[in-house]
Amino acid sequence: MAITLKRKNPVDLIFSSITGLASLSVILFIIGIMYVLVSESSLAIERFGILKFLSSTEWNPVKEDFGALTNIYGTVLTTVLSLLFAIPVAVGIAIFVTEIAPNFLKGPIGVAIELLAAIPSIIYGMWGLFTLSPIMSNYIEPVLKKFTANIPLINILFQGTPMGIDILTASVILSIMIIPFTASIARDSFNLTPAVVKESAYAIGATQWEVVKNVVLPYSKLGVFGGSVLSLGRALGETMAVAFVLGNNHRITTSLLDAAATITVTLANEFAEADNDVYLSSLFYLALVLFVMSFITLAIAKFFLLRAERKYSR
Amino acid sequence: MTIFQRRKIEGTIALTLSTLAAFLGLFWLIFILGDVLVHGVKSLNLSLFINDPAPPGVGGGGLRNAFVGQLLITICATLIGVPIGVLGGTFLAEYARGRKIARMVSILADIMVSVPSIVIGTFIYAVLVLPLGHFNGWAGSIALSIIMIPVVLRTTEDMLTLVPWTLREAAFALGAPYYKVITQVVYRGAATGILTGILLSIARVAGETAPLLFTSFNNSFFSLDMNQPIASLTVTIFQYAMGPYDSWHEQAWAAAFVITIFILIITIFGRLIIRWRYR
Repeated sequence: MAITLKRKNPVDLIFSSITGLASLSVILFIIGIMYVLVSESSLAIERFGILKFLSSTEWNPVKEDFGALTNIYGTVLTTVLSLLFAIPVAVGIAIFVTEIAPNFLKGPIGVAIELLAAIPSIIYGMWGLFTLSPIMSNYIEPVLKKFTANIPLINILFQGTPMGIDILTASVILSIMIIPFTASIARDSFNLTPAVVKESAYAIGATQWEVVKNVVLPYSKLGVFGGSVLSLGRALGETMAVAFVLGNNHRITTSLLDAAATITVTLANEFAEADNDVYLSSLFYLALVLFVMSFITLAIAKFFLLRAERKYSR
Repeated sequence: MTIFQRRKIEGTIALTLSTLAAFLGLFWLIFILGDVLVHGVKSLNLSLFINDPAPPGVGGGGLRNAFVGQLLITICATLIGVPIGVLGGTFLAEYARGRKIARMVSILADIMVSVPSIVIGTFIYAVLVLPLGHFNGWAGSIALSIIMIPVVLRTTEDMLTLVPWTLREAAFALGAPYYKVITQVVYRGAATGILTGILLSIARVAGETAPLLFTSFNNSFFSLDMNQPIASLTVTIFQYAMGPYDSWHEQAWAAAFVITIFILIITIFGRLIIRWRYR
């Protein structure tokens, strides 16, 4: 292996240190982002503390009183909803591509999923504003309202006028965006199931679905779970896809037909306009909260994906 | 109903549902692409590319400033990001191969790939915009290059790892020092793969909006000065689509069309290379 080679050549020494520095840049960025965000938000940290900032629903630039809870609520709610919509579809796609599809369909569907992942998020956002939002407010949301009007508890979710600029629309767009990530990771995990195991299940008379349900899914659950958490991490930080259709409403609402604010939407809309130090510092604080949230989520996802990988390679 | 029938029915239902899921994915792709295509082609015309924006209400304006600005920002980001990414990947796959540090950096890079791009925007704002006192094009490019570096680094690492170790041993046996082995043997073996990774990373950053919002900001005039705010297609799309004028919406669709086609062509091209080279 390379490690045992003696580096006698001076050029080699230079080249290896340049490449080493380049690879350390990744670590530098992470530390740098953390450091800069903490120091920029120190004013807000001093003023609002940690727990108080995270639990306050206030967002008032005039009174210079800021709290993150409405933003965190919006972020978590849209993300969880979009995952609820996306994961079943993504797993379905993965099952279709790996188990059901005839060979001539596997390629095109795989390519379609990859293209869906390549479309920039701003296109999703714009499409959501001009196309999906009218469809939601004119057709889908009134129907949902009508059907749930008499069901207690659930009708709370659909109160208010369907405007199309709301949590539901934003979650739908977000779910369309994360379907490809989840689907491709699920597909890769499914593909790692050894053919022998599947064949032995078929040999004892299992149907195709039973093989998927009892062999493929249990075998690849770690990978699918890791993929879902990875999509969660991506969805947390998605900005442009939701910025168009979420409004920018700093309130905690129980209805999915209300506008809301996520951390990313608040940053996108207010960052360039922040006119005093506390305001700007609070926005940096929000960015810090988002960075920590997504970093932890992504690290967990990576942990599960690595464990899955190790398990399969044995 | 016998248990056999029930198993069969259950299977049919489940498999039909997953087929439907696959076609739902296909449906969204066609819906979104079709929509961008229809609206975009309608508003596409020559003046979009050769004129600068006109005031709302005055016809005939274009987005020349945004096209040029986007190109400038993306090219500079590529020039900064690609060398660092490729060199970093080289270190992980060659000098640090199998060591703990390589594993750690590569895991962190994987995490960095998915870190919210808007957070990188706020970081660059604090580092490069606040001290200078004004938005500038370089800040945008550097924000994009930070997104690019982990992507290029990871693909380079993967591609270099694919080059058989015996190839390096053959070169060592001729007495070549390691850097010569890397630049003249390993890079050649992995060139197509690395190039594809670079292409895909360009496609990735070309559509980024969030990190540009408060770094390169926007500029309604034609500008080539990277030290000043500079227009980009994506930020212009955001501004125009949220704006109140129909003519703005049309131009936003046209810009969305151009950028989508650009990105999809690069992506498809990259996939084709991978398929052709690594079958």
